[in-house]
Amino acid sequence: MSETVCTFGERRDETIVAYMYDDLEPAERAGFESHAARCAACRAELDDLGAVRGQLARWTPPPVAGFTFAPPAPGARVWAVLREMPAWMQVAAALLVLGVSAGAANLEIRYDRAGLSVRTGWSGPAGADESAVIAAAPWRADLAALERQLRGELRAAALPLAAAPEALGAADVDRRVRALVAESERRQQRELALRIADALREMQVQRRGDLERIDRSLGAIQDLTGMEAMRQRQMLNNLAVRVSQRQ
Amino acid sequence: MPSTDEELVARSIRGDADSFNELVLRWERPIFALAYRTIGREEDARDVCQETFLRAFRALPAFRGQAKFSSWLYRIALNLCRDWMRRQRRAPTVQAPEDVNLLELAAASKPAEPIEELVARQELSRAVERAMARLPEEQRTAIILKEYHGLTFQEIASLVGCPLSTVKTRLYQGLTILRRDLGRSGVR
Repeated sequence: MSETVCTFGERRDETIVAYMYDDLEPAERAGFESHAARCAACRAELDDLGAVRGQLARWTPPPVAGFTFAPPAPGARVWAVLREMPAWMQVAAALLVLGVSAGAANLEIRYDRAGLSVRTGWSGPAGADESAVIAAAPWRADLAALERQLRGELRAAALPLAAAPEALGAADVDRRVRALVAESERRQQRELALRIADALREMQVQRRGDLERIDRSLGAIQDLTGMEAMRQRQMLNNLAVRVSQRQ
Repeated sequence: MPSTDEELVARSIRGDADSFNELVLRWERPIFALAYRTIGREEDARDVCQETFLRAFRALPAFRGQAKFSSWLYRIALNLCRDWMRRQRRAPTVQAPEDVNLLELAAASKPAEPIEELVARQELSRAVERAMARLPEEQRTAIILKEYHGLTFQEIASLVGCPLSTVKTRLYQGLTILRRDLGRSGVR
């Protein structure tokens, strides 16, 4: 005879799952099978959950694009370690590096009446005879010639620019100003349109997010209600079994 | 005969990058699938997958073989997925295209499969994806690890850090919710 009310007991859910995934000891398995042979509720549940497993098997993720793993270079490891350091430690490390570099480069920083001056060089400390060496350097004349040439070219380029406003008539100035104003207005309108589009897009994203949240909340409430109803039903089943056993 | 995971791990620890690449080839698909099904976003799942292997590589010298390499990898991936979800502060969303792309469908079709069946197959896949995304995280993780990765209940319990009976209960509740959810959306 088939029972419509399940009489299995308290660990029914776990046993059903363990049975479905073939994770029961032989004796437990035989016990549950003999129960299920008599229990219509358990048979129906096994069928339904088995069907769900069949549907789950149809969900396939997209293909993964294979990647070859290249072990990080030693330098990358140092950077990774540095990135994980606290900020104060990074600052201290930076200062240390700066100090060592300055020492190695023979860096000389001076702040006097002449202002701030920074001088560097890989040779020994700057001495009085250093200026004499520089003055006697053969490239000094070339450098001075290059400087003269550049200054000359700059002056020549500046002349037409300075003369241009005088050459323009009042009508030209008026036309140019109107064109600038029109261009500025066009730019402002374009920016305004972009901002409105941004705002609309954000609003749509927000709206979609809100709708999804509402949907999820409703789903969660329904799930909870469903689980609660199931629990109540099982409790009633257990009570019915106990009452029938006492009678 | 192909090398075991343990042999490849030992060689990787000694600095053999090819052995680690072999491990990546072997496990990238399951790890990507786990990440995709857990967080529901393809691009982020790829990132999680790559980060998993990067972290595994960095932590390899500390791996003592107390667990299977795959379990260790799953644990790293699950932790990264959890971090991702915490950062997002939202339930996973699923990137399901609204319309059906016929070219894509044609590319995915098997030679003898009629287009109606193919559409139905894809619709079912999407319905399952959406229903899974609505499940609470614990139930979803239990179902993914059991159903798609074939882990034992004991392995899942140790991975997610809960008692064995809780894993079974989560699985039962998750499957029950899915049954109702899929039934409501008319999926058979």
